[in-house]
Amino acid sequence: MWKEIGDREMGKIRPNSFSSQIKSNRISNLQLSNNKDIVSPHRGSINSLQVDLTEGRYLLSGASDASAAVYDIQRPTNYEGNGLIAKHKCLFSVDKQHGKGHKYAISSAIWYPVDTGLFVTGSYDHYIKVWDTNSTQVVMNFKMPGKVYRTVMSPLATSHMLIAAGTEDVQVRLCDIASGAFAHTLSGHRDGVMAVEWSTSSEWALITGGCDGAIRFWDIRRAGCFLVLDQSQSQLGWRPPVLARSAANKVSVSKSLSAGQNSLGKPRAPQKKYANGHGVKQSTIGRVPAKSSARQRLHPGMLSIQDRATAHYGAVTGLKVTDDGMYLLSAGSDSRIKLWDLESGYNTLVNFEMVRLQTSKAIQLAISQETAQVFVPCMTVVKAFDIWSGKMSLAFHGHYESVNCCWFSSQDQELYTGGNDRQILVWSPCEPITDDMDAGHTKDQDNWSD
Amino acid sequence: MSVWNYVVTAHKPTNVTHSCVGNFTSHQELNLIVAKCTRIEISLLTQQGLQPMLDVPIYGRIATLELFRPHGEMQDFLFIATERYKFCVLQWDAETSELITRAMGDVSDRIGRPTDNGQIGIIDPDCRLIGLHLYDGLFKVIPFDNKGQLKEAFNIRLEELQVLDIKFLYGCLKPTIVVLYQDNKDARHVKTYEVALKEKDFVEGPWSQNNLDNGADLLIPVPPPLCGVLIIGEETIVYCSANTFKAIPIKPSITKAYGRVDADGSRYLLGDHAGLLHLLVITHEKEKVTGLKIELLGETSIASTISYLDNAFVFIGSSYGDSQLIKLNLQPDAKGSFVEVLDTYVNLGPIVDFCVVDLERQGQGQVVTCSGAYKDGSLRIVRNGIGINEQASVELQGMKGMWSLRSSTDDPFDTFLVVSFISETRILAMNLEDELEETEIDGFNSQVQTLFCHDAVYNQLVQVTSSSVRLVSSISRELRDEWNAPSGYSINVATANATQILLATGGGHLVYLEINDGKLTEVKHVQLEYEISCLDINPIGENPNSSQLAAVGMWTDISVRIFSLPHLNLITKEQLGGEIIPRSVLLCTFEGVRISYLLCALGDGHLLNFQLNLSNGELTDRKKIGQLSFIVSNKKLLYSNVNLKEVGHMCPFNSAAFPDSLAIAKEGELTIGTIDDIQKLHIRTIPLGEHARRICHQEQSRTFAICSLKNQSSADESEMHLIRLIDDQTFDFISTYPLDTFEYGCSILSCSFSDDTNVYYCVGTAYVLPEENEPTKGRILVFVVEDGKLQLIAEKETKGAVYTLNAFNGKLLAAINQKIQLYKWMLREDGTREFQSECGHHGHILALYVQTRGDFIVVGDLMKSISLLIYKHEEGAIEERARDYNANWMSAVEILDDDIYLGAENNFNLFTVRKNSEGTTDEERGRLEVVGEYHLGEFVNRFRHGSLVMRSPDSDVGQIPTVIFGTVNGVIGVVASLPHEQYIFLEKLQSSLRKVIKGVGGLSHEQWRSFNNEKRTAEAKIFLDGDLIESFLDLSRGKMEEISKAVNVSVEELSKRVEELTRLH
Repeated sequence: MWKEIGDREMGKIRPNSFSSQIKSNRISNLQLSNNKDIVSPHRGSINSLQVDLTEGRYLLSGASDASAAVYDIQRPTNYEGNGLIAKHKCLFSVDKQHGKGHKYAISSAIWYPVDTGLFVTGSYDHYIKVWDTNSTQVVMNFKMPGKVYRTVMSPLATSHMLIAAGTEDVQVRLCDIASGAFAHTLSGHRDGVMAVEWSTSSEWALITGGCDGAIRFWDIRRAGCFLVLDQSQSQLGWRPPVLARSAANKVSVSKSLSAGQNSLGKPRAPQKKYANGHGVKQSTIGRVPAKSSARQRLHPGMLSIQDRATAHYGAVTGLKVTDDGMYLLSAGSDSRIKLWDLESGYNTLVNFEMVRLQTSKAIQLAISQETAQVFVPCMTVVKAFDIWSGKMSLAFHGHYESVNCCWFSSQDQELYTGGNDRQILVWSPCEPITDDMDAGHTKDQDNWSD
Repeated sequence: MSVWNYVVTAHKPTNVTHSCVGNFTSHQELNLIVAKCTRIEISLLTQQGLQPMLDVPIYGRIATLELFRPHGEMQDFLFIATERYKFCVLQWDAETSELITRAMGDVSDRIGRPTDNGQIGIIDPDCRLIGLHLYDGLFKVIPFDNKGQLKEAFNIRLEELQVLDIKFLYGCLKPTIVVLYQDNKDARHVKTYEVALKEKDFVEGPWSQNNLDNGADLLIPVPPPLCGVLIIGEETIVYCSANTFKAIPIKPSITKAYGRVDADGSRYLLGDHAGLLHLLVITHEKEKVTGLKIELLGETSIASTISYLDNAFVFIGSSYGDSQLIKLNLQPDAKGSFVEVLDTYVNLGPIVDFCVVDLERQGQGQVVTCSGAYKDGSLRIVRNGIGINEQASVELQGMKGMWSLRSSTDDPFDTFLVVSFISETRILAMNLEDELEETEIDGFNSQVQTLFCHDAVYNQLVQVTSSSVRLVSSISRELRDEWNAPSGYSINVATANATQILLATGGGHLVYLEINDGKLTEVKHVQLEYEISCLDINPIGENPNSSQLAAVGMWTDISVRIFSLPHLNLITKEQLGGEIIPRSVLLCTFEGVRISYLLCALGDGHLLNFQLNLSNGELTDRKKIGQLSFIVSNKKLLYSNVNLKEVGHMCPFNSAAFPDSLAIAKEGELTIGTIDDIQKLHIRTIPLGEHARRICHQEQSRTFAICSLKNQSSADESEMHLIRLIDDQTFDFISTYPLDTFEYGCSILSCSFSDDTNVYYCVGTAYVLPEENEPTKGRILVFVVEDGKLQLIAEKETKGAVYTLNAFNGKLLAAINQKIQLYKWMLREDGTREFQSECGHHGHILALYVQTRGDFIVVGDLMKSISLLIYKHEEGAIEERARDYNANWMSAVEILDDDIYLGAENNFNLFTVRKNSEGTTDEERGRLEVVGEYHLGEFVNRFRHGSLVMRSPDSDVGQIPTVIFGTVNGVIGVVASLPHEQYIFLEKLQSSLRKVIKGVGGLSHEQWRSFNNEKRTAEAKIFLDGDLIESFLDLSRGKMEEISKAVNVSVEELSKRVEELTRLH
């Protein structure tokens, strides 16, 4: 560490590579924390975990006993074990006792991305509730057509306040916090939707994974989905050789399934005001202004063959977009993890080592961008895989029952996991206990020092 | 200090990061363009060397600097891209000598992760496109149209994730890039791609090469006719093209920079990490490459960039040492080196640590920096002052006095320089060749010491010796009259002006003479009660030739008296107090002001000044200034240091050959020099040949101690870590304490402890073992300086690296890995002393930077911003009081005042946080509120309280508290805390200046200074950019008036207020 600090001091390594080096170093040393404990108040399996996106300070958990709780993960509530073990009790929790709380299991609990003043819970009781954090009162209710599996809000959004919800129903609904009503519904899936994820590069792009095995991409400003991932499309990285160029190019263009992408236009992020001169902001999804007008006619109906493409055999149980907005990871009830290139929609065919995944329940994946690792709940173990090679790099044994959700805090390099055993575990970079208080001030111990 | 901060650069960045050569200012002129991180300097190649043309700030950290020439253009354009994803294309306007912006824009993307290996910006040799690699997995293309205008950019996916280098190949029909990358298994390969502009995609290129040297890091494209690419590794160099592959082994080295010598690309200069310069030659038969040859040329500074200029002249830009202009000779010198250093350009970077000291005890801070790295490591002494530029010098021993004389009363120039020695007087004169030559003035008595000389009216000269006053014709050089001291009395001190002489003899006799044509007349004689120590009758009234007043300094009662002339009536008597006698008095007025001053220098080197009322001779407004310094006038009295030491005597010497010069007598040397018009920073370099990492000064022993590391030999990695003791006057190493193997010095402190009068050096170390991620063992060593030697008197083992040490309540506060630990200094029964842990505080990731004030401890964490701890005496415990919950990766912290703390972080930002003691909830009180944010654009390694300028008491800026910082690029800057009203005024001025002063390349100042990290960008708040504000003074009158209107303050007032600020540094 001292070496890296020295190299940064003299400008030998760039500050940003300094921090990513240290982060990856720490992440490779993740283990069950010996000095940080989250005290779970839940009496049911924990289904959802999220740390707020603004300060990285408050952890929100949702559990099967219809309760949700918030913890301060930066500031312990008290210490135990000679001041060495920091206990983080929940700051508050809401459960069935709460007059307007959920009646059945909470499957999803998320923060409002802009500040920690609101959070959103989705439950098997068919309701999505929006809570005021400070008063712990429900400020908004959305009645859904079935059990709610997953709710998400776009971390980028500056021009909408939509909750996208996947439920038992085949339709994905967008709930507008601004108006308190449904903005619209997205039809396409043929079964319930367990996984929903917003794009990290465009605030209009939504990705959903259904129990029908399909992963669909939506531009919420348009009707219909514009892309269905197909596990058999795997031509990424192949570029036509020099000689056959002219012929091959045509193929590659028409192949890049960018149906409807031209209709997306350029989602220019409004909060970045600096696009002067050659404004060249781009987002992966919906980039290429493909000229194929034939494609445009395809959706909302799409070619039926393409529309029936599947990403997994069985239900899609988890989705996670990489922070750089270029790749998507999916987990399915076929116990497969797949890495998709978002621009082209190709399956990269990275071979993730065999795992056993929960089949009946949605799982929450987490990604560490620095180390290119994905954390996957695999029954009672959480495993970390290298995104590019698919090799398992770390396994976290600690839960007694199946793990449902994990959240990785890049800021603290800590992993939080929650499972059916009602525990929330913290995995942090190992820190040697440096308790060098002179054990008693006995003189004989120190005689060597002169 | 306060929250209202003003940030200004005292010493500009000097770390040369990029350089290029081309015809930028005209198609016939060859220019060197050098980037120093946030500045570019354009110079012209002339017969005499490099001639500076322009030095401008860039509102961004320069990531790429490239010259190119679009089709049909006569001269080169300059492409600059900044680290915050802005780019611009600049052209030289020969008429105004300014830069014009041809194009500019933003190349940031919402997708992709910023590259770890730095940004790459390249231009197709045939000017078809600009290529940028800014994010992993993406290659951005900005195409040119037929007219050389830039078109809209687009991204191409690049599958290679770990890209090390990308270059354009020469001589390709379609623009073709060659990519050096590393795969998942850490093997390195190159691959080529053609850029298909129409399809906006890559097409597989003509060739690729797998499994290269594991250290391959650099690509050099070879121009036609050979074409292809050189791949520079740590152990091999490979030439590669579609049909040729040649490789040669080299001595293990890391090549840092290259420069192409010939236009045909057959020879290259390579600079490595140890500062060795090699010549790489591609041997070829016609267009067929037959092999590679490499030859060692010699040693330079460790190069970060190499630009071959012309005719064997080469510019070596360096990040770790001074940059150089070198000449490559055909024949080796005695040491076998072909390199001849012609010029060096000072570089302070990287400043890894520094301390502010007052070595001359003059009340003015000097900064001593640990600069440079590896073999180019050095200490630099940086001080502000007026420079005396040496024009000529002669060796002379034992000078006792010196006066300049004119050959006639009307002559505007001085001719003679009278130099007095203990038993003789010699006269030097300017001869026809403008050389100083010894001459004679017959009328002068040259057998004795001269007490005083002066020009007098009627073409006469006056010489005062201990026995007589001689009046001599300056034309015939013969004696015209002589006044002899009464027998038994000798003259002790004397002074004169053109018509008057005042002298004092033993016994307190004061004699006043007047000078007439060929005659000295004794006018008045009085006897004072004590001996006279000094005199002055400098004419400051209406008449330039005679004075109404005389100033007299006295022994015994330590007073200064003012007498009227010619009657020698006492007007005023001012007791100086103290026991130090006045050694010299001077009556003076300064240009442009009506106020007269009496200056009085004391025997201990202090200077007093009084305002003198000419009409009644009253003395008012007494002030004492540090030690004797130099005085300039700018309507106010200002004092400034000069860059000379040990000056014995001096006098103005305004000769035809050396106009407006000073003659200065130093020990054993007579020097003639001119004075700078303005104060500036002067830098003295103490080369160490090793890398100093930490420094501190100990007043009591008059020494510095440094932690340094020495590379055994340039090639291998073995290092020696040392604690060195350095004399603070001579800067010689006087003692060395070697640390153990693998033991690094991390922190150093000079301090004393309660119940112990000794002053110690404490050193914190870490054992950095190759297999350990984080040190688990370190030591705190305590040294005392005895007879100029470091004596180890105690040591304490720690369970981690001792990142910082602070003196704290008579105890020692150490930051050891995650922990803050307080040690007591205990006396043992056997009389020796040891450290005993008192208490500690956990809960940091790594406590890298610690500052204390009273019982408060401010910790800058590796990644968890700033936290505030408090030491509780009663409980003997350290507790956390508040924290900033942002995830800032810190690089330095400082306490500005009880409530405001300043931090610098990893993304080149500064910020301030405030303690919120009045918060109503625990949550509020436990949070350090972020109050100020600012993008400095520099990586700060250290803050220290102090000032680079003399705090003259009669200026307003003297009251403004300042913190000095040092950065990787060699910047020394100042953070000054302003009063609120001044801040409000300057903020208004700054926003007007933003409208009037346009950034180079159209880059926005507001965006440049906005706080920026991975998560967010926010407008700068409560920090002002002093560099922008002070550039007001360089504006044209018209623009000044524009601003004056906008802020509603007159130009004069604005200039005055801004000038005032420039005196902060």
